[in-house]
Amino acid sequence: MANDDTPQNAEQPKSMQGSSEETPTIAPEDDATAPNPAFEPTEQDEPEQDEQADAVSEDPQQGHEKHEDHGLAHTMPIWMMLAVLGALMALTILTVSVTSFDLGSEGNLVVAMVIATIKAGLVVTFFMHLFWDKKFHLILFLTAVLFVILFLSMSITDRGEYQHNIDLYTNATTPAVGK
Amino acid sequence: MAAPSTTVDVVAPRSSGSDNYLTHDKGVLSWIFTLDHKRIGVMYLCSVLTAFALGGFFALLVRTELLTPQRTIMDHDTYNQMFTLHGAIMVFLVIIPGIPAALGNIIMPLQLGAKDVAFPRLNLASYHLWIVGALFMLSSLAINAVDTGWTFYTPYSTTTSTAVVPAAFGAFILGFSSIFTGLNFIVTMHKLRPPGMTWFRLPLFCWALYSTALIQVLATPVIGITLLMMIVERTLHIGIFDPMLGGDPVLFQHFFWFYSHPAVYIMIVPAFGVIGEIIPVFSRKRIFGYKFIAVSSLAIAFLGFLVWGHHMFVSGQSVLAGTIFSAITFLIAIPTAIKVFNWITTMYKGVIHLDTPMLYALAFLWVFTIGGLTGIFLAVMSVDVHLHDTYFVVAHFHYVMMGGAITAFMGGLHYWWPKFTGKMYEEKVGRVGAALVFVGLNVTFFPQFILGSRGMPRRYYNYLPEFQPLHVLSTLGAYTLGIGFLLTAFYLYKSLKSGKTAPMNPWGGATLEWHCSSPPPYYNFHKPPVVTAGPYDGYENLMYDETISGYVPRKEKIV
Amino acid sequence: MSESISPAIEPKPGHRVPAPAVHEDADHGGHDEHGHGAGPHLAHHFDTYQQQFDAGKLGIWLFLLTEVLFFSGLFCAYTVYRGMHPEVFVYAHYFLNTTMGAINTCVLLVSSLTAAWAVRNAQLAQRKLLVLNIAITIACACTFMVVKFFEYQHKFHDGLLPGPAFHPTEQVWELDAFKKKHPEAAEYAEKLTQLAEHKGDVSAVAGAIDLTRPVTGKFERPTEAQLEPLLKAGVIGPAAEDTTRPSKPRNAHVFFSIYFFMTGLHGIHVLAGIGVWVWLGIRANKGQFGPKYFGPIDYSALYWHLVDLVWIYLFPLLYLIH
Repeated sequence: MANDDTPQNAEQPKSMQGSSEETPTIAPEDDATAPNPAFEPTEQDEPEQDEQADAVSEDPQQGHEKHEDHGLAHTMPIWMMLAVLGALMALTILTVSVTSFDLGSEGNLVVAMVIATIKAGLVVTFFMHLFWDKKFHLILFLTAVLFVILFLSMSITDRGEYQHNIDLYTNATTPAVGK
Repeated sequence: MAAPSTTVDVVAPRSSGSDNYLTHDKGVLSWIFTLDHKRIGVMYLCSVLTAFALGGFFALLVRTELLTPQRTIMDHDTYNQMFTLHGAIMVFLVIIPGIPAALGNIIMPLQLGAKDVAFPRLNLASYHLWIVGALFMLSSLAINAVDTGWTFYTPYSTTTSTAVVPAAFGAFILGFSSIFTGLNFIVTMHKLRPPGMTWFRLPLFCWALYSTALIQVLATPVIGITLLMMIVERTLHIGIFDPMLGGDPVLFQHFFWFYSHPAVYIMIVPAFGVIGEIIPVFSRKRIFGYKFIAVSSLAIAFLGFLVWGHHMFVSGQSVLAGTIFSAITFLIAIPTAIKVFNWITTMYKGVIHLDTPMLYALAFLWVFTIGGLTGIFLAVMSVDVHLHDTYFVVAHFHYVMMGGAITAFMGGLHYWWPKFTGKMYEEKVGRVGAALVFVGLNVTFFPQFILGSRGMPRRYYNYLPEFQPLHVLSTLGAYTLGIGFLLTAFYLYKSLKSGKTAPMNPWGGATLEWHCSSPPPYYNFHKPPVVTAGPYDGYENLMYDETISGYVPRKEKIV
Repeated sequence: MSESISPAIEPKPGHRVPAPAVHEDADHGGHDEHGHGAGPHLAHHFDTYQQQFDAGKLGIWLFLLTEVLFFSGLFCAYTVYRGMHPEVFVYAHYFLNTTMGAINTCVLLVSSLTAAWAVRNAQLAQRKLLVLNIAITIACACTFMVVKFFEYQHKFHDGLLPGPAFHPTEQVWELDAFKKKHPEAAEYAEKLTQLAEHKGDVSAVAGAIDLTRPVTGKFERPTEAQLEPLLKAGVIGPAAEDTTRPSKPRNAHVFFSIYFFMTGLHGIHVLAGIGVWVWLGIRANKGQFGPKYFGPIDYSALYWHLVDLVWIYLFPLLYLIH
């Protein structure tokens, strides 16, 4: 078991490990600016090309050129993560404070949903790496959203159409208290 | 998924030719905890066939009860439980996993040229979930069998005294089993294709499984949450679906059919895939309109999501929604017809071999066309108001589900039987079995069209005496079906014991699974095969070798 | 095995990881482990780490797809009831503690950050930071659950339960949240209640509630500020359960059904996430993750972000109803 669990690289001599961790912000900063994002889409755009791309990326030379940032996926710089968190926190404060204003019958709901969607967009784009990820994953995610909209819109439209029947039933069956 | 190295078991290629996935490991545990897709598929197959026998037994009981207008063998409550169990078992335990999880698991990675599915452990988990779900569902039988119909409509399902919760929870778990299978297949087809296997060189069976998997992944979660809400409604009375507590039962139907209509395509689209494999091989002719058949599967999968409301024309759904759903339903006829036309055109001027798989495929074309066309009647709102909840609907969906999905399943089973068991069944008995099934099917269900259009409601225990002759005919057909399936079970079992050894390529197929030995080796392909031609190319370069009763490559290639 | 580890992998401060070393390392690992050209964490049916990683990533995205649709049923139920019975939602939101909801939102957002950071640590083979970030993520998740526990406890205590168990111990206008927002309306509701209880002057109350009726007795016609919040919350008016006195809207319990169902299901996902992170934390501590093999961390982080995403919508929908 011990043998199997031995990692290929992560278990480093303690001294080295420590030295990098005490200055985590420095290494990443440098790291973030280094990769050329232009390389990313060309390799990751088309899922169909995976096998071929794999074969190529195994080659150290090619790999060096293509995977400026650690081979398998994009590495997000720390400043960006912190910035996204800052934005998310600010939007949370905004959405709470907006509730104290009256923006009309549906206004508050719309504003709250718009803010929530912006927040969700930030999380999906940056924390979930969709900005750099394969486009197919973006398509998948949008498909999910599309089908949710389809499901909700048809159900709700129909419910709106037959609501008057339910109202008739409710009014007929509710005991009129105090009459 | 991501494997710690402990379970990664890489063995040097065996030199012995007799080693295959069936003999690779010994013992029951080596089956129960196997990660090999073929073994998982075989376990699925055995389980599905067991469930099929059970569901078929309930069907025969139901048909026997309907021999007379009054009580024949059981009381009305038992009758309600019998048809519910028949429906639930056939839908959730047989047809949905039948082709994708059983046949698909065995064949799809072979056809693709992959060593396994992308996530072997998820695949095994999916099978174990299936077992757990099936046990839950059957535990309802032991407690107090559910009598709601397989649809679990509220408010009846939240108020009846029968054991709804175990059955619904079983269906919930089976849903996850189905999701994981679908997820696994999509990733496998995206990531594990060998060099040269482009999307348009995928066999049509893979295309069909891909479309099915998309539906499984997109629709099944909704039935999961729906059944969960229904269970909670029943236990805690939360008032989402129960009108007495302010809930809306029609909303349940929307939720239910948002899954269950696409689920109809989970059942039938893999069947299309099987037929797409069988017809060109037994016509010795390249498939006609490959791209259209491939893409029409996706079109059906997509359109299948837009039509769920056609199950609800008389439920209290609004006229607006009914109109939209009705109109879109007609559209589904287009991609479906494209498929049927292409299969028929494939046979045109082909050299047709009427072996058992082909007989099932031809039976499929016949009954599926009837089933599909009667579906268009039901898509018309005004006609549906008359036919809704009559035997017409019962006949329609049995023509599609039983006549379509099960016939194709039987065809696929016979087609790939030599491949994954390594044994040949008795061809002549096979043809008799196929004929019995075809005749039994039509005799059982065709009279039900007439019954339905005359006003015989479905799920009724008693009926008017004037309907009796047709009911008797239908029951006789059901017995014929039963005999046909028993015969099939008998000769397939016999072939395992004493069947001739199957050649590598008994039918002359050109897809990759016929490039493996029968049965295939443990890792399918020691080196990923390099694909240079389409899945239905090169029949002319195969010739029948009588000494092995199978096809071998021709010495001199015909250019 | 240990001989094969290339020390060059560990990035020195201010120094980018040299990519060729990564590949070299894979070769070493592979030969040691299996003699198959595969690395220790490369499953047999994959040819390369990239293929394995991409397969896992596609798999987790498909799983997230199912999760989105799984939750969509509840969002659909929510939307239908909110659209048809807005008064129930206005009524019920006074019972929810916005502060606790906001705290939980922030806690989850922070945990999302640490989860994303953990992915980065794994990619860079920063073992200690990785373990630290996973630990913070778990801590945040636990904080979330503790806050949730107190919220639930409070609801249970106040009789705010779904279905027939719904027996709120306090009337909505007696709540601080209501009083603070609509002091006049709260006072007016109190007045109406007293009138109905002590004087039994039902007609006076009914007249006061129905603005079209002539006012009888000494009771004054209410102002807009007194009346509107009560009407909107279904305390009085056509949606109210009891038409003779201030009460609660019909089927108010449905909100709490949806509330408990949505937050409960979300909570189960948080608990599952905690389980996954604990498991990964242990593996990370053993140093199993690095540039070639960080998939599990990445996939779990994606799952965790989705759990966060659901909460991002739940928070305004449940706590911030105007």
